[in-house]
Amino acid sequence: MKFNKNALMMTLLKSRTFIVLIILVVFFSFASPTFLTSKSLLLIAKHVALYGILGIGMTYVIITGGIDLSVGAVVGLSGMIAGGLINEGLQMFGYTLYFSVPMIALITIICGAAVGVVNGFLITRFNVAPFIATLGMMYVARGFAMLRSNGATFSNIVGKEALGNTGFELFGRDIWGIPVGAIILAVIAVGASVVLKKTPFGWHVFSIGGNERAAKLSGVKVNQVKLMVYLFSGACSAIVGIITASQLVASHPASGESWEMNAIAAAVLGGTSMAGGIGTIGGTIVGAFVIGVINDGMVMCGVSEFWQMVIKGLVIVLAVIIDQFQRNLQAKMALQARSKDAVVH
Amino acid sequence: MKSAKRFLAALMAVSALGILTSGCGGNAEAPASQAAPVSSQAESSQPASSEAPSSEAPKAEALTGGGSKIIYIITPSHSNPFFKTEAEAADAKAKELGYETKVVSHDDDPTKQSELFETAISDKAAAIICDNAGADATVAAVQKARDNNIPTFLIDREINESGIAISQIVANNYQGAKGAAEIFVEAMGEAGEYAELLGKESDTNAGVRSSAFHEVIDQYTDMKCVATQTANWEQTEAYSKMETILQSNPNIKGVVCGNDTMAMGASAAIKAAGLKDIAIIGVDGSDDVRDEIKAGTITATALQQAALISEMAVEQADKYLKEGSTGLDEKQLVDCIIITKENADKLSAFRYSE
Repeated sequence: MKFNKNALMMTLLKSRTFIVLIILVVFFSFASPTFLTSKSLLLIAKHVALYGILGIGMTYVIITGGIDLSVGAVVGLSGMIAGGLINEGLQMFGYTLYFSVPMIALITIICGAAVGVVNGFLITRFNVAPFIATLGMMYVARGFAMLRSNGATFSNIVGKEALGNTGFELFGRDIWGIPVGAIILAVIAVGASVVLKKTPFGWHVFSIGGNERAAKLSGVKVNQVKLMVYLFSGACSAIVGIITASQLVASHPASGESWEMNAIAAAVLGGTSMAGGIGTIGGTIVGAFVIGVINDGMVMCGVSEFWQMVIKGLVIVLAVIIDQFQRNLQAKMALQARSKDAVVH
Repeated sequence: MKSAKRFLAALMAVSALGILTSGCGGNAEAPASQAAPVSSQAESSQPASSEAPSSEAPKAEALTGGGSKIIYIITPSHSNPFFKTEAEAADAKAKELGYETKVVSHDDDPTKQSELFETAISDKAAAIICDNAGADATVAAVQKARDNNIPTFLIDREINESGIAISQIVANNYQGAKGAAEIFVEAMGEAGEYAELLGKESDTNAGVRSSAFHEVIDQYTDMKCVATQTANWEQTEAYSKMETILQSNPNIKGVVCGNDTMAMGASAAIKAAGLKDIAIIGVDGSDDVRDEIKAGTITATALQQAALISEMAVEQADKYLKEGSTGLDEKQLVDCIIITKENADKLSAFRYSE
């Protein structure tokens, strides 16, 4: 009997973020008549895509027991790289090269991934703590973003027909009524989730976060896996940078400031443990939607931004408290199961 | 075990409740708590800035500078083109008048600003030109410079104390926002629903501009403000908030923005939603907004003459160092110029040329 109760509690606890999301959606549907329409929900998905994608990269990093504070700055930097390539091209040896939009997207993602690789190198080869390494790279990336244009905005980044680099604004638009950002989020989420759950690489990510020494002794190439994880986080940030710049049809070097916090919040709300070893992509997406629904719902109801901050903060802290309870309960259930076994034998 | 579970259940209930009640409590209270600081700011700062106190009685003796020929130019981060123009104009003017310059940024951090003032003092600066990092937080720094015989000339933003700085030259935000609002009312045909994007609510200018907008618009009873949100002066935030506002208020015919950056974000959101003929106004006079005004997607903006204000400050510093007085009031207001399609061509880099 008691065991069953515990099991029910476990199910409730595990789906807590989802329950909060449903409560929020129900609440805002009553508070604002336009909230529960397909158009609103698509809009929320479009806004969620930004920190959802950052959150996916962040989830990988946090599962290995690390953290990536540089993601917001990489968003700004990659926006500037893409915007600059469209408006000014690449000046080399006295020539100016202009690339097509897919090439520009690829170059930008490679640059974002490169920042991630530097993070990974600092952490694995030079033994810098992830918090410090990525904090440093946050400033470096932000600085380079500012330097790219001397602090100015690249505006009207639509390209020129003659140069063959038009179409950048498509990343910020809709296809068949669905925002491109949301589609990209869905694709990355499914891919990342499969890799994390079903491939040896994913298991290695978990094993490093669970017990790094044990992972190393059992033959996991810890450094290589970590490098890949930070690379992935950097690439995710670059994708977000492209989407933001494309939505605004302008890139500003200060964009993405403090977005790493939203990404961390999404991961933590989704049940990713800051201690490493635990986390799911699905959870992070639900977490990102909780933040998105709070943000957009309150704007639709006309609530001041100050309340949004208070509530976001409370939700995050509560999520972690409940996380601790879940862990305690889990430990107790395991203990109970073992003592039962002992009695039987 | 049992008590832990009970606590857990209570916790979940409280958390769910907390989300709900703070959601609707905030809903009801927010407008009141939001409106209060805005109106009080308007009342306190408006008379102060429009009726400048009569000329300060000349102080016992004029400040003569620290001894060198260096002018320190301290502004917020140059990542905003407005401040960049400000710093560059002051720099060029000072060099033209035969001074050395040091151009630095306090990044809106009062502590960093205070350190920069100390550096200027130890550098024996002749004068300091400063766009300050906080109306209250700057007073002590300016006083310290004064105690060390270095005159300070404030541009763009005032401080909450007079008689310490030699000049405080600011753009007339109130007049500018009112002028832009008049164009806005005209473009809306004096009727319809509109939204407002506020600047950072802790910033005085956000309140001054907002109350100036409303002083004009609220005279027309057919104009209805259906949504007010802060976008913290930011383009990205203005973009996503505008999208959400449009979603819940599909009949919007206009948007008033506290600055040009937010106007750019709002304009991008409106374009993405496929809407046309929506009146948008901003304040600042940036080149990006000028281009949108020319293209017809933004209605008007109020140009704060950043370059002119900087040059005035340097000229006054020069005069003061040479003659011991600027011959002008400490507080000086420089009127904004309303930029519309007709005169947009004359605007470039925060400078209006006839």
